[in-house]
Amino acid sequence: MINTSGRSATARSPTLKANSPGGELARFDLVERLVHWSTAIIMLTLIVTGAILYLPALALRIGHRGLIEDIHVITGLCLLGPLVLGLVGPWRKRLIADLRRFDRWGASDFDWFRGRARRSGLARDKFNGGQKIEAAFLGAAMAAALVTGVIMRFAPSSWITWATGATLVHDTLFFAITVAVLAHVAFALSRPDQLVSMFNGRISRSWARVHAGAWLSEVETLEADASEAEAFKTGMDGSPSSSP
Amino acid sequence: MGAESERELSGGSGPLAKLPVHVGRRTVLGILGLAGIGIVAGAKIDSALGSLSSAVSSKIGVPLPGADEFRYYTVTGSYPVIPADTYELTVDGMVREPLRLRLSDLRSMKRTHLVHRFQCVTGWYVPNVPWEGVRLSELLERAGVAPKATALRFFSADGVYTESLTLSQARLADILVADKMLDADLTADHGGPVRLYVAPMYGYKSIKWLDRIEVTNEVVPGYWENGGYPVDAWIGGTEQ
Repeated sequence: MINTSGRSATARSPTLKANSPGGELARFDLVERLVHWSTAIIMLTLIVTGAILYLPALALRIGHRGLIEDIHVITGLCLLGPLVLGLVGPWRKRLIADLRRFDRWGASDFDWFRGRARRSGLARDKFNGGQKIEAAFLGAAMAAALVTGVIMRFAPSSWITWATGATLVHDTLFFAITVAVLAHVAFALSRPDQLVSMFNGRISRSWARVHAGAWLSEVETLEADASEAEAFKTGMDGSPSSSP
Repeated sequence: MGAESERELSGGSGPLAKLPVHVGRRTVLGILGLAGIGIVAGAKIDSALGSLSSAVSSKIGVPLPGADEFRYYTVTGSYPVIPADTYELTVDGMVREPLRLRLSDLRSMKRTHLVHRFQCVTGWYVPNVPWEGVRLSELLERAGVAPKATALRFFSADGVYTESLTLSQARLADILVADKMLDADLTADHGGPVRLYVAPMYGYKSIKWLDRIEVTNEVVPGYWENGGYPVDAWIGGTEQ
């Protein structure tokens, strides 16, 4: 088993290639960072233009409704573009793996909501419960905002009942998304290790030991398996640097 | 695929593998389900929420979802603030006698009062809004429309916004050249001193800061209609 799977594990796992032995772990790959930051720019544009369209004080002071609406609608149509592009090619592996982590909850994720003082100290996954619920919420809220926005702007004028419903949902999402994004930014600014990892993709082993113990064990198991396989392969054909 | 990478892609071998509770997926489906219900049943929820949401909204100055509150639209960088005593409405084009009417002239003509909703094509609305002014048909009567005329063009004092109606639409009884709204003089943010109120059509027909009506023989699409909104803007899609 090892002579086939060992090779592919080293080749296919970007985590292993990018980790440095003693220090840092690869937390986000380039695709994930590009998806994150392009979505962030789009969201910021939507929140600002949305506020101008929605809040009377801004609507009257800034005006230019035709232009602001066009920017909001065009940007909004692009909202899920980065995520979709991140998911359509062979570069999607890490992104999909992390989306699965958002989906799957273990005891340590529920434990996170008990508050720092009352947590039972279970080793946590790569993301904590708060990050997982934020990701799930924002993902769904973005999709819902896109659908309701399209109804508001492009539905035939005879669908007015649905447009009223879509407006109710869209307006509610404006508040909910703004709060979620502000919380996200506040958490990021107060946790520089994690903020920096969204720029350079890397985070320290010591951070992972404290905040993501279960993930660190996973990564270390993979590293151990890989180096075992490497040693085995080197023994077999003497070409440690070969790769498919 | 190798055993190791498969394990990584499936989200780990730790406690998660033993406790695969799909909270993320359930959260996403839950929110999308709520949004779906909101779209389909939202108009009913909206009218139920109306008074409560409005009470809070008017206190904080922000229209909460479902509130019976106006949204304020202006397509220029600001909006015209025209003193009531210098305001003048021009009615010209294919007429026997062009008119220049001051606010006092409008107030000395036959007045019409109606209570009707303001409905925006994007979905929001304000029910039971009191409107008061002169029927558009009265103005046309006084100016004397030429037999070959078929349409009207409306111009806003903001210099950008325009609207249109066919002559037969314009003669409907529930189209007002309004100078009062919500039982008070029309304020500048609502399009005062004078705006159009086209009750059977979406809000974009009810041009704000109305300062000129031109009688013509062709319908020229207005500001939003150039962006794809219907020229015949009947609420619900067809004339009721």
